[in-house]
Amino acid sequence: MTALSPSLAPQTRRRLALGSRHALPVALVAVFLLFSALAPGFLSLANLESVLVNNFTLLSIVAIAMTFAIAAGGIDLSIGTAVDFASFSFVTLVLSGQPVPLALAAGLGGGALVGLFNAVLIAGIGISPFLATLGTLFIGRSVQQLLTNGGNPVYLPPAGVPESFRFLGRGTVAGLPVPLLVAGAIILIAGLILSRSRFGRVVSATGTEAEVVRYSGLTLKAHLAGTYVLVALIAAVAGLVLTSTVTVYIPSSGNAFLLNAIGAAFIGTTLHPHGRPNIAGTVLGVLLLSLVANGLLMSGLNFYWQQVGTGLLIFTVLALSFASRKA
Amino acid sequence: MTTPPSDTIIRLDGIEKSFGGAKALSGVSLAIERGTVHGLVGQNGAGKSTLIKLLAGLHQPDAGTIEIDGQRLTHITPHAVESLGIHFIHQDRLLVPTFTVGEALFLGREPRIAGTPFLDRRQMQRRAREVLQRYFGLSLPNSALIADLSTAEKQIVQITRALLDQPKVLVFDEPTAALVKREADLLFQLIRRLREDGITVIYISHYLQEIEALCDRVTVLRNGRDVATKALSETSASEIAGLMVNREIGDLFPVREKAPGEPLLTVDRLSAPGRYHDVSLTLHRGEVLGLIGLLGSGAKEFLRTLFGLETAASGTVTVQGQAPWQASPVQAARRRLALVPEDRRRHGVALDLSVKENTTLASLSRFTRLGLIDRTAEESETDRLITRLQVKTEGREALLRTLSGGNQQKVAIAKWLSRQSDIYLLDEPTVGVDIAAKVEIYALIAELAEKGAGVIVLSSDLNELIGLTDRILIFFRGEILRTVTSETATVDALLADVTGSSELTRHAG
Amino acid sequence: MLAETAFVTPATPYHPGEEAAVPARSQIGLHAAKLGLQGGAFAVFALVLLIFALSSPIFLSPFNLGNILAQSAISGVLAIGLTVVIIAGGGNVVTGGIDLSLAANMGLSAAVYASLSQAGQPDAVAAGAALATGLVIGAVNAVAVTRFAIVPLLATLAVMNIVGGLELVLTQNTVIPAVTPLLETLSGAGPLGVPVLAYGLIGFALVTALAVQATPLGLRIQAVGSFPEAARASGLAVNRFVAGSFLFSGLSGGLAGIFSAAYLSGSTTGAGELLLPVVVTALLGPVFSRRLVPSITGTLLSALFVGVLINGFQLLNLSSTLVSGIQGLLILLVVSATTLLKRKEG
Repeated sequence: MTALSPSLAPQTRRRLALGSRHALPVALVAVFLLFSALAPGFLSLANLESVLVNNFTLLSIVAIAMTFAIAAGGIDLSIGTAVDFASFSFVTLVLSGQPVPLALAAGLGGGALVGLFNAVLIAGIGISPFLATLGTLFIGRSVQQLLTNGGNPVYLPPAGVPESFRFLGRGTVAGLPVPLLVAGAIILIAGLILSRSRFGRVVSATGTEAEVVRYSGLTLKAHLAGTYVLVALIAAVAGLVLTSTVTVYIPSSGNAFLLNAIGAAFIGTTLHPHGRPNIAGTVLGVLLLSLVANGLLMSGLNFYWQQVGTGLLIFTVLALSFASRKA
Repeated sequence: MTTPPSDTIIRLDGIEKSFGGAKALSGVSLAIERGTVHGLVGQNGAGKSTLIKLLAGLHQPDAGTIEIDGQRLTHITPHAVESLGIHFIHQDRLLVPTFTVGEALFLGREPRIAGTPFLDRRQMQRRAREVLQRYFGLSLPNSALIADLSTAEKQIVQITRALLDQPKVLVFDEPTAALVKREADLLFQLIRRLREDGITVIYISHYLQEIEALCDRVTVLRNGRDVATKALSETSASEIAGLMVNREIGDLFPVREKAPGEPLLTVDRLSAPGRYHDVSLTLHRGEVLGLIGLLGSGAKEFLRTLFGLETAASGTVTVQGQAPWQASPVQAARRRLALVPEDRRRHGVALDLSVKENTTLASLSRFTRLGLIDRTAEESETDRLITRLQVKTEGREALLRTLSGGNQQKVAIAKWLSRQSDIYLLDEPTVGVDIAAKVEIYALIAELAEKGAGVIVLSSDLNELIGLTDRILIFFRGEILRTVTSETATVDALLADVTGSSELTRHAG
Repeated sequence: MLAETAFVTPATPYHPGEEAAVPARSQIGLHAAKLGLQGGAFAVFALVLLIFALSSPIFLSPFNLGNILAQSAISGVLAIGLTVVIIAGGGNVVTGGIDLSLAANMGLSAAVYASLSQAGQPDAVAAGAALATGLVIGAVNAVAVTRFAIVPLLATLAVMNIVGGLELVLTQNTVIPAVTPLLETLSGAGPLGVPVLAYGLIGFALVTALAVQATPLGLRIQAVGSFPEAARASGLAVNRFVAGSFLFSGLSGGLAGIFSAAYLSGSTTGAGELLLPVVVTALLGPVFSRRLVPSITGTLLSALFVGVLINGFQLLNLSSTLVSGIQGLLILLVVSATTLLKRKEG
């Protein structure tokens, strides 16, 4: 977090811990109550499920991926590229008649490739993550155009390919939608990795003070490289779920998640006592964004107010937490 | 030398300053005469830098008064100080690296082309050339960027910048630390010329020879007090050295059973061109070895090489008979070496991690099962070390930022205790550490040695080295000048060796 | 005395002219690499021009060159606004200067202009409102960064969302056509048959370049961005310069909005798409500058380089989608080279 937050005096740190830590949960409750009152259909079970499935699932997976990059003191602007590459690899293999499990594995591989490329740039050469992943994003865009004859979508037709490719996106297990279960699993595993594992501890330390990690006899570069591969792998899962749901690969469509993922991850840092990126915070951040988007829609407000609402919300949470750190 | 009219331009009276309970200055009084060169000396931690920061308006004193030109200052700001004509030549050179010399010199008071809003670059270049030539006989190409200049040239540009403001007082803080002799000589000539022009100079330095050659008067600081102010005509370098040294702290150091065991670390003819040359030593179990040398003597670079942070061109380092290794901190830590680096707040501990996270950072594998950290084991290890090292903290989850310098340093050491290291490389282990924590750290070092570890301490605190170590290796110009037994070493002799004045005497004799 | 310090740095002679005669070999290599990096960008630009000129007869025609300038006008103005923020905020893209709200700002400003024109307001009112819109957005960024101390990347990200949303609300995500005397003049041909937009870009770049590269104010902005401590030591109020840079980039967004309304005869959707290309254009700017630092002229050249690529690819009937890949590769090459250079120097 030090990379992104101004240096803070100890007493303000403590005040931050006491004061603005509650900004996110309070906002969440407020938003929930507000829309329950304003929008008649908001509280219905069907609507809340739709929030989870339509708004929450994919963004939460991508935002969790982004959380690792930010925790390591960096950022991954090419996160959508990993989503796209996973999606493209998956679609291509399914269309060429390969079994679905193989296609899924290839999808993960395709996404990981993007992460590997970033890892070489960031850990190997030492380019700043912002510039490295920006370059990857642009190259990835061209590569996708080249692969698709100038950016044509690739459809998975209902006939001629195994139905099972839809399972990940549209299946249910015990009445629960599979995408939601996947998101749940990712949340649990990612939470375990970031807050309980040795790898996660070193990643957090890297984001806090990379030089201390090196001076402690730890392999800084390996952990940085691992972080960006992990980010891409998690994003790839989102790509697979997305493709399986909409049954089409649209070049460069993964970018749509980028800004909300960054926003959610940073909103999430306000939940942590020391302002660090964390999975629970990210998940609540995504939930907040999802509820606001849905709530604005349900209150009959013009669809276009959604973006203004989310923007204002992110701005307010950031202003509250940063200003209280500064004071 | 014509005697300038004797009046006081800066008068400090009874200045006190504490930082978080640790007293940095406890009653300093000082009068600086107009038009003189006034030296300020003292060991690390004597209070020199605190005093200068107060004068610069960067800190406010807790008690005492500051008078400049007979005018008593109530609230001292950097701006107020500068407007009174006091300028500082800081150790870190505050110049924009991508600027040309002219741009750097005139930033904030740029000449314009008459009648336009545009920079007069030609005038900037011309005047830059003029002043650099006039003051230093230095000619730099117009296109030279600050980044391309040598350290000395950068410093000259900074001094020139201050001179453009026609200052009354110039404060030099260790100005020769990064200069070669010829550059330093130029600087001394300049300072003498400044004095002739009636400018008052405050000169802070470690090098007593410089003080002797340059200053009219000198004030010695020790333990946050001014112990003496002398005219150089009435004193000598050796008297000043005597005043700088604490004579009464011998009992700070623990008595230790000195029984060195088997060799732990063997260094054979290690060389890194331009840094150090042919350094050999053997560190035994139970031994505390001291290293001393001024900036640039190679001692620090040598210590960093042992931990794999820098590479040597030739020579070998062997740990307990194992084969020499590819130098890297990872490999060094694996061979049970531990480094407690000088820059504690950037390298030693992460201020925004908790006590627990810092303590176990180097030894996480010990607490990891199937990739996950065993919290109970980690917490009990942290608590054990907090107790053992008497770390004063709100608890293991407190951020390192909330601890005092001494307690941060204990955590930096605890990190390696947790890793169960055998060889401890301590780089200035007690800088910025209050006296109570110092004593505890000394005791800890002694205990480590008694339990069979090997310790190498690099320190510029001579008392510390003599009190703590078995042998002291003196680095001078990249080589080990000599090795002395700590029991027979004296501060005066060490000081003479380190600053090279013993060399000079020998050559002269 | 003092000679021990000879181990810190090799003594530098006081006359670098002499030094140049016998520099260490590695020094020569570094200098060559640096020169290569600086000259290389220009060489690549020249080569690209040459290739297009040889392969397409109309490439060098005044009409086509004017076209390139006009096409680059919008992204060029935005990239120049961004460059000022980068200069004043420093090169670290996360904690330093960055303005992610610029493209959205352009979209909203264009929409404001088009809506007011459609509502029958005269050009002066519509154009004034567009510029004011940009300025207000800049002011919000400035307050967020200097008062609330939000890191610029996040502050401008949030503002981008708000502004993008406001544009949607205003236009209902539709195209608002606008035909006004001002827009007709801007999109028409000026002296020498070159589009007026081209003159607009050149004029804006020239004024900004003079202000940033030739005035005391500009020198101070550069100092504030590259070494805030040094600027503070010289008595400069760092925050004021940073705030000013956001105001300027906001104004650039407003101007680009008017340009875009002229180029597209009204406001269109999808302004946000322009953000990352503009960021890359600004970040590539330093290779077109003598000291490898962000500069207005460097960014202008970088914008024109991208414009030339797009135009040339169109003329050669190649997919212009390759342009983004080339930009990406270039930025990685440039940054890798500078990073490796720095590592050697350090």
